[in-house]
Amino acid sequence: MYQTESWGSPYVPASGRNGVGSYAGGGDPFERIEQLAAESAVVIFSISSCCMCHAIKRLFCGMGVNPTVYELDQAGDPIAGKEMEMALMRLIGASSAAALPVVFVGGKLVGAMDRVMASHINGTLVPLLKDAGALWL
Amino acid sequence: MGSHRMGETGLSDSGPSTHHHHHHHLPYALLHGMNPSSTAFMSQDPAFDFGELEEAIVLQGVKIRNDESKAPLFTEEGGRPSASTTLEMFPSWPMRFHHQQQQGSSRSGGESTDSGSGVNTISSKAEANIEPESPISRKAASSSSDHYHFQHHQMDQLAVSNGGAGPSSSSHHHIQQQNQSADKPPNEKTLRRLAQNREAARKSRLRKKVQAYVQQLETSRIKLSQLEQELQRARQQGLFLGGCSGAGGNLSSAAAMFDMEYARWLEDDLRHMSELRAGLHAHLSDSDLRITVDRYISHYDEIFRLKGVTAKSDVFHLITGVWATPAERCFLWMGGFRPSELIKMLISQLDPLTEQQVMGIYSLQHSSQQAEEALSQGLDQLQQSLVDTIAGGPVIDGMQQMAVALGKLANLEGFVRQADNLRQQTLHQLRRILTVRQAARCFLVIGEYYGRLRALSSLWASRPRDTLMGDENSCQTTTDLQMVQPSQSHFTNF
Repeated sequence: MYQTESWGSPYVPASGRNGVGSYAGGGDPFERIEQLAAESAVVIFSISSCCMCHAIKRLFCGMGVNPTVYELDQAGDPIAGKEMEMALMRLIGASSAAALPVVFVGGKLVGAMDRVMASHINGTLVPLLKDAGALWL
Repeated sequence: MGSHRMGETGLSDSGPSTHHHHHHHLPYALLHGMNPSSTAFMSQDPAFDFGELEEAIVLQGVKIRNDESKAPLFTEEGGRPSASTTLEMFPSWPMRFHHQQQQGSSRSGGESTDSGSGVNTISSKAEANIEPESPISRKAASSSSDHYHFQHHQMDQLAVSNGGAGPSSSSHHHIQQQNQSADKPPNEKTLRRLAQNREAARKSRLRKKVQAYVQQLETSRIKLSQLEQELQRARQQGLFLGGCSGAGGNLSSAAAMFDMEYARWLEDDLRHMSELRAGLHAHLSDSDLRITVDRYISHYDEIFRLKGVTAKSDVFHLITGVWATPAERCFLWMGGFRPSELIKMLISQLDPLTEQQVMGIYSLQHSSQQAEEALSQGLDQLQQSLVDTIAGGPVIDGMQQMAVALGKLANLEGFVRQADNLRQQTLHQLRRILTVRQAARCFLVIGEYYGRLRALSSLWASRPRDTLMGDENSCQTTTDLQMVQPSQSHFTNF
């Protein structure tokens, strides 16, 4: 199911689009985010060069989840990509530049790495994933 | 108002317990009282409440009063009631003061120069009267002095109670009967004047004593603030190494600060563990025990918070584990303990557990393992990326390369923070799964485990390395064992 590990984007990119980059661009970034989050069970907004983003991807893969990943630095429209990054930063309430990665499950915002880890440890992430249909166990 | 209140304190402090102390200061204070300016000052200062001083003096005790009162009679023997009676009232004092000159100057610091000149003045004036009247030679006249003790005591009490109005007729008569060495019986007027003079001199001495005390306080205060400044400076220079961080040399100030706080945290840890142990032994109610358990969790929250702060300035210090003992450092994972390992250690020691609890614990172990794995892979990725940046290709632009590398290094802080976050969440989840008593036992086990690990490091460091060198090293081991002893007492099983 997964491509062999290589630095880049080993995950199944957003399907039904013309490549990775065309999801961004035009319109309110918050609306775009909401739209994209609703389309898949697990959505990760990421930056391809970011190591923490890599870690979160590994986490979901390790759990047997197949997340939809949007690399904002590889968006067709770099400005739109940046806008979405800023919007995500405001959504999670981040003060500094380290906003990404941000995870949505079942269309609802879970948060950045710390929130995702906390919810996994306290046992709320797995039920959430099951409800969204991302996990079958 | 404040000064004489202080004077009271000073008096009452020095009074009952330290007769010598009082005398020690007396001559010194007396010295200043000798200055004509000060006597004038006394009269010029109406705000100075002599009444309170008198009270304090009465509380002083008989002895001192006797010593003081002895002197004037000595003077009166010589029949020299004069304007300078104040001055020569205590001819004996300079003698004693002379003996204690060294101590006096060391105590009074900067004022020794003043006292120097004064002493000579007094000594020279009272030279003629020194020998027979010196309290030091009191022993020689002990028989007569006993009588004087009695008389003076009576006279004195009367003088104080009547406000210096003069002795009553009965004591007057008494004194006349008992008088031995006086040339003529002291009349009422003289006695009153004597009492007044005594009072005046006493008050003057008190005032000087208060001033001296205030001066001492001031000097001490200045010294204290200087020391504080030095300490602050030394801390900033990272000279203040805490606990077992023997890193030596270049400890950043953030690192030094962390080491210090960590050492304090370790002390607090022992205290918390004692509380937990005591709580369990005493079979406290669940609600009471819960308080102790929650406090222990807050204690851990605190160290995670501290590490977060330090990670901003010196993440390498945390990752390389300089602050931890060697054994801890060996098994360090991202600047701290590995949560899944901790749970693995706990599983065998937490029974009895309900089936639900067992599932919860295993689930916790599983999820922490997954999270650790994810973070480790992320960190590996970071290292790979860093290597690529620094090592890669021809160095076209060194500075640019370095800038990029620096940017990537900055991500280290994020990883340490997430690792600490994971540790913190694990502890909180343990608290949720377990009952209060189970949680108390669980945290006690954790604390003891790390205590033993630290002790192990210590023992390892001092183990005999060679049979030939066995003797010298075994001595070291003994001391280390003794050091370890206190922590071993915490290793109780129940």
